[in-house]
Amino acid sequence: MAISKDVYKEFEDVVGEENISDDPAIKDAYRSPNITVVLPGDTEEVAAVVKLCNKHKIPFKAQSTGWSFMPPTYDFIFLDLRRMNCIIEINEKNMYAVVEPYVISAELQGELFKRGMICNVKGSGSTCTALAMSGHGHMGLTTSTGDRNDLATEWVTDEGEIIRLGTLGASDEWFCGDGPGPSLRGILRGGGVITKQATKVYHWPGPSVYPLEGSSPRYTLSQKPSDLNMMVRYFSFPSIEKLVEAELKIGESEIAFELMGFCPSMVSSNITTSNEEDFATLDKFTKEVQGPGFMVIIAGNFPEDFAYKKKVLAQIIKETGGKSLKTVEDPAVESTLLFQCTRVCASIRETFRAGGAFSSMMVQGQRYDNHVRWLEEAAVLKRELIKKGLVIADDGQQFGWGEEQGHLGHTEIFCRFNPYDEKSSKAVQEWLGKVGKRALDGCFAVPAMGVLPIDEIGKHVSNYHIWFGKLKKAFDPNEVGENTGYSYVGADISGVHTSIYKKEPEKASSKK
Amino acid sequence: MIDEKKLVKIVGAGNVSHDRAILEEYSRDMSFVNTIKPDYVVKPRNGDDIAKLVKLANETLTPLVPVSSGPPHFRGDTVPGTGGAVIVDLTKMKKVIRVDRAHRVAMVEPGVTFGELIPAVEKEGLRLNMPLLPRKSKTVVGSMLEREPVVMPKYQWDISDPLACVEVVFGSGEMFRTGQAAGPGTIEEQWAAGGAQKTPYGPGPAQWNRLIQGAQGTMGIVTWASLRCELLPKLEEPFLVGSSDLNKLFELVHWLIRLRLVNECLVLNNSNLAAIMAKKWPGDYADLKDSSPPWVLFFNVAGYDYFPEDRVSSQIKGISDITNRIGVEAVRAVGRVSAAEMLKTVRRPSDEPYWKLRYKGACHDIFFITTYDKLEGQISVMYELANEFGYPASDMGIYLQPIVQGANCHCEFNLFYDPQNPGELNHVEELSAEAVNVLMATGAFFSRPYDKSARMIVNRDAAYVEALTRVKEILDPNRVMNPGKLCF
Repeated sequence: MAISKDVYKEFEDVVGEENISDDPAIKDAYRSPNITVVLPGDTEEVAAVVKLCNKHKIPFKAQSTGWSFMPPTYDFIFLDLRRMNCIIEINEKNMYAVVEPYVISAELQGELFKRGMICNVKGSGSTCTALAMSGHGHMGLTTSTGDRNDLATEWVTDEGEIIRLGTLGASDEWFCGDGPGPSLRGILRGGGVITKQATKVYHWPGPSVYPLEGSSPRYTLSQKPSDLNMMVRYFSFPSIEKLVEAELKIGESEIAFELMGFCPSMVSSNITTSNEEDFATLDKFTKEVQGPGFMVIIAGNFPEDFAYKKKVLAQIIKETGGKSLKTVEDPAVESTLLFQCTRVCASIRETFRAGGAFSSMMVQGQRYDNHVRWLEEAAVLKRELIKKGLVIADDGQQFGWGEEQGHLGHTEIFCRFNPYDEKSSKAVQEWLGKVGKRALDGCFAVPAMGVLPIDEIGKHVSNYHIWFGKLKKAFDPNEVGENTGYSYVGADISGVHTSIYKKEPEKASSKK
Repeated sequence: MIDEKKLVKIVGAGNVSHDRAILEEYSRDMSFVNTIKPDYVVKPRNGDDIAKLVKLANETLTPLVPVSSGPPHFRGDTVPGTGGAVIVDLTKMKKVIRVDRAHRVAMVEPGVTFGELIPAVEKEGLRLNMPLLPRKSKTVVGSMLEREPVVMPKYQWDISDPLACVEVVFGSGEMFRTGQAAGPGTIEEQWAAGGAQKTPYGPGPAQWNRLIQGAQGTMGIVTWASLRCELLPKLEEPFLVGSSDLNKLFELVHWLIRLRLVNECLVLNNSNLAAIMAKKWPGDYADLKDSSPPWVLFFNVAGYDYFPEDRVSSQIKGISDITNRIGVEAVRAVGRVSAAEMLKTVRRPSDEPYWKLRYKGACHDIFFITTYDKLEGQISVMYELANEFGYPASDMGIYLQPIVQGANCHCEFNLFYDPQNPGELNHVEELSAEAVNVLMATGAFFSRPYDKSARMIVNRDAAYVEALTRVKEILDPNRVMNPGKLCF
């Protein structure tokens, strides 16, 4: 047992015996020998559990739906929030929804579709939490990003205090998260537990339910996208410069519902159902495209709007020398991409399926065109790994997309590889380190967390790690809030997106 | 008292004043906060001056009150909350540092006014998402730091917009850059690498800009800020919709914003419409007010580089379908007010005298954030209170601004009064204090609390105050930044 019987009983008193476990089988399921799993059912239970952690100086880690689980190597309480799974409110008139942390985007989106609305879905996929916290996604062009969609929020600090931001604290309502005075939305990430949150939602011009036909895993739509005032195309360009020009013009003209900077391998992953089929399709696409590309979805609010948007798209593509990928013009393929890329249900195929793991260098917020030079260097290095057979062959392409009609953006390049192959894992980690260092030295961007030691990054970036460390200390004086994923001073440096494949958990030790 | 020689050493002799008349000017404004005279007024020339001033303030425990906009001031946030203060007047920092068409972003020092920045960005084909008719002396940075509402809700994705990044000297004296500007590299190195200071969040998990906005200068002093700009349209078709039914107007507003059909979008009552559009006083004002419907919605349809005529006509078709369904009519003119003239007016700062001062010489604003469904009830409450306190409700201006892409609405009551008439002044002060209390009970959210009620509004939530105080202790440990404001 990770904690004493007496202390275990105190936690059990809060959540009930059916909602706490340190059974070895359960620990194994969570891939950690150091874990005591607690399943709180509401905000008060979360606060009580966190207060107990403070009382006994036991570290805790909370998780909603999870994506990249990085369990600490010391004994800890794990707050699994899966019981907190209610959509509390959908407010159509004021365009927000209120969710608990275990509501997944697919559930919320399904309810919103019925009302002609949609939420931002993170790139990690629609099975991830609908909380508007961090995470950029395929529909960022029109549904913004996690960092900017949150409204009022209920937050349990690392000390177990319940803080209700904005209108929630003032009048028990959800429509605004800022104030009175300075906005504590500024310190939400990286500490404490969000127990309820309002998120902005947006207009959805598509159907209330997709008219799916076929059977798993090969679905398509019974209606052509054009019958729904929607269109999906993939365009390749003669050069990166032309691609960037087209992307910026599309953003500025406000015609696209979604612009996803897929490279051909991501398109082939989306429309195929096995690796064999995927690689064959990629081979075909690679021969067909003229250079880098992106996928774009046009959606009209009414027929005249749809016609106008298509007309502008055609003009922009003509001006920039874009070439449409014929396979995607097939309505069956087009409709598959349409529902998969708006329901965002193919993220795992894009990333994990080919090799079993992927490691990514991403920059969230800055526009794609800011990073082209740096990413081209990263792509050259990646191609060397492809040549050596250390990562999956996908022509080494980077990708990115605009957000908020091109005001902001997302940029990413990843390597898919076999995590059981030590040489591959090592090579990818070294690649990440080199690319991250180049991002700093070239003044391009702040590399993804976990790539370089945080104090190495922080000294190049206004010493933010020191300031964040001060915030952390102020709100977590007993140092019980485990936030490795957000990397402050002294944080572990963990691999990115690979840890769920680690077979053997690290050996338990006491927290230093 | 702080040593004047030390101030002179930092900013130069010509930029330090303790002239009685000047100190008097900064000791009060048009709000109801107490009059407190500062010891000095200093005018820093750049960020280094500011950093040295903050360091000196920490050494001598001298309160600093940052002021970026010129007079008249209305909200009490730039009046010292305690004795012995030094006013840090930023009006000399007037550089438009950069306008970047490709990234749709501008960077300015804190003394740059809207009137100064508008032509600079227009030259590059850009425009600002700005508040409604700011006074001529209002600065862009001041407005953004106060989270003032902007007239194009479609482009306000987050309530922090259009602010992007800032360089700030925290109360501790340390310099910090927020968002994408934080690094790596200097600002010039970031430009050379193809970057722009546009991404507002970060660095790291925190969103530091949110801690500085709404703080009324209690966390630090901003030395420059960048802001997102929008494209100048190629073609525009503005409209007005008059109605006595506010609910119908807001049904239309909801769909106009939800479908992203319009740029500018705001609602005025007839008093404010007349106050803004009247050319000759007082005759014009009375005529305009009498000839206008109780409520007027203004919106603007825009086309950009590609087939602007097609875009505008398709948007107007969509809007017609909605207005037909709701039973209202969008027209080019309502009474004697034309939509085209309204568009020209809301694109600029206010002419002099400031529009809120034209009617009676003074104005007190009560403003909060709310939702569309509550508006009618809150307006009724305000009318009842006005009657109760002897303020003529028909004189009251009302400005309703949908914000954050329609998720919220800024509601503002403008109480025009004669400052030379002690009776009127007292009525407005008493009405204001009571209105805040009563409106809060109806769900009005005073996100930006100023004046005498500020402390009461913030202090209602002890847990929130405790958390804010912890942040304050990090950024301004000696509490030298604008003490006496908010809960600090």
